[in-house]
Amino acid sequence: MGIKRLKMPEYKLGDKVRWHAAALGTAFKEAFFPLTVTVQYPRERRKFPDNFRGYILFDIEKCINCWQCAFVCPANAIRMKEAPNKKYYPTIDYAKCIFCHFCVDSCVGGALRATKIHDVAYADVDEMLAETEQLMEPPEILREDKRYVEYVIEEDDVRLRRVKGQDYLVAEPPPRREYPMVCVCEDPESCTGCGTCADVCEHYAISISIEGEYKVIRIDGEKCVGCGLCVKECPLHVLKLVRR
Amino acid sequence: MAAVSEWRVKLVGRPSKDVSCPSIVKTRVIDTGLCCRCMACMAACPAAVRTGVGFEFEEREHVCVDCEICVRVCPRLDYKPLSGVGSYIEAVAGRSKRFEGQDGAMVTEILISAMEMGMIDRCIFVGRDEEWRTEVFHVRDVEQLEVPTLTGTKYTFAAAVPALREAVLNTKAGVGFVGTPCMVSAVRRLQKALAVFRRVKLVVGLFCTENFYWEDLIPFLEEKGVDIKKLVKTDISKGKFIATMTDGVVEFPVKELSKIMPSGCRFCTDFSAVESDVSVGSVGSKPGFSTVLVRNENAKAVLDYIRERGYAEFGEVSLEAVERLCNLKKKREANIKEAMQKGD
Repeated sequence: MGIKRLKMPEYKLGDKVRWHAAALGTAFKEAFFPLTVTVQYPRERRKFPDNFRGYILFDIEKCINCWQCAFVCPANAIRMKEAPNKKYYPTIDYAKCIFCHFCVDSCVGGALRATKIHDVAYADVDEMLAETEQLMEPPEILREDKRYVEYVIEEDDVRLRRVKGQDYLVAEPPPRREYPMVCVCEDPESCTGCGTCADVCEHYAISISIEGEYKVIRIDGEKCVGCGLCVKECPLHVLKLVRR
Repeated sequence: MAAVSEWRVKLVGRPSKDVSCPSIVKTRVIDTGLCCRCMACMAACPAAVRTGVGFEFEEREHVCVDCEICVRVCPRLDYKPLSGVGSYIEAVAGRSKRFEGQDGAMVTEILISAMEMGMIDRCIFVGRDEEWRTEVFHVRDVEQLEVPTLTGTKYTFAAAVPALREAVLNTKAGVGFVGTPCMVSAVRRLQKALAVFRRVKLVVGLFCTENFYWEDLIPFLEEKGVDIKKLVKTDISKGKFIATMTDGVVEFPVKELSKIMPSGCRFCTDFSAVESDVSVGSVGSKPGFSTVLVRNENAKAVLDYIRERGYAEFGEVSLEAVERLCNLKKKREANIKEAMQKGD
């Protein structure tokens, strides 16, 4: 294996002049119309696509206390706190939150909602824990932006386009893609018949009756909304949610 | 297992709806002294899980949801005492080369080998704290056995059966269990009543004449001059209770312990854990070896695995000694009739 030497190509004078002129032109262009992509926050802010994940709002009326958000949270940012009415509601620690919005997606009652508030910045760590009350209203935000900035992807480059006007704070979420679930028993032989499922069901979908020598447990598929409360509470985990 | 949206649970047929299930257990098992504290009721009780109540009857009646499961799983309600050596397909004496335990450490060897085979993925061990209170451990890896208190006999009741609930709900392959004959019977009852407990794939029974409550045994030993903090090993051998401490040994005849013997043991006739998959004990083999009675194919596969890998050395076993103790324990049958009548 020998070494192959590269030869310097020989350029013509005409080419050399043209390239130098092009380089000088670019320098002039950059001096007067710079091609930066830096966003001058907070005087201007980037316009994010709708549904770009941000601060999470909580609607206490829709919460069914199923704890699903706390279970699903991969960052362990959600803690359930006991309220005076003996129910547990979520609090979010934004020091841990990774904005995956699994909680929003998994919320059965639709109590958690995404917003376009991306100013989730705090002065110290203690402030970063958002209590339930704080989650119910959009937080107060100080903004001095007059215009927003959009990235425009051109054929071979990215360019910024600055538009006057402010972005909306809270965007309405698009209609949720629903995966209707229904509760079924996957292991009837392990059921103790304790009735915990019927107790916790808020939609009265599970009924227990005694017929002769047997206790009969029925799940009414029409009434079941697939919230999973019974699945969580069943002491021997015999229940399961399946897609309808 | 097909998923269903309508299913039935058989009722036990109580005399009247006013009689709560815990009170049936209370009058017919606890008050008559039949209760062996196997805690099968605790393992199954749905109310106990949700509310975290203890074994105390009053607490449990307060939270009872009337599901009758405690009546269905109690091994001492509708008590059919078992006795004798039971059926077995192989009897050998063994000593583990890998572990150290009470005698041959065969219980540890069998459970860990079953775990290596993939038959089970976790097993329940009973350890102890400094004051010899029992603690239940879920062992999922051999490295956990570095805790030196996990092996060896404690002669004290442990809440191992309630710990099974968590184990069977989390297991992927199966669960290994080790316990006294009453606990083995309790596991079999649980398996009969609730399918989820059938994930307990390997049940190791221990030879047992009687067991003691911690709150009785420790004051008794202290009275005998045993310093619990320095106690390292307890053993029963040739009719003597031997407590080995770091700086000495205290010995006394086992008969003296009969005054702190729990009442549940007075009605127990099962010495060799007849219902187990494999029974292990020191009786019937040389010092340093454990007698192993293999009772079914499942356990046989584990023993074959141990043999194949050469994890243990095997010796001769004399079943006469085992039979003698089985017969001795069978004499307790007389106590049962008396107690059953009292309960009705």
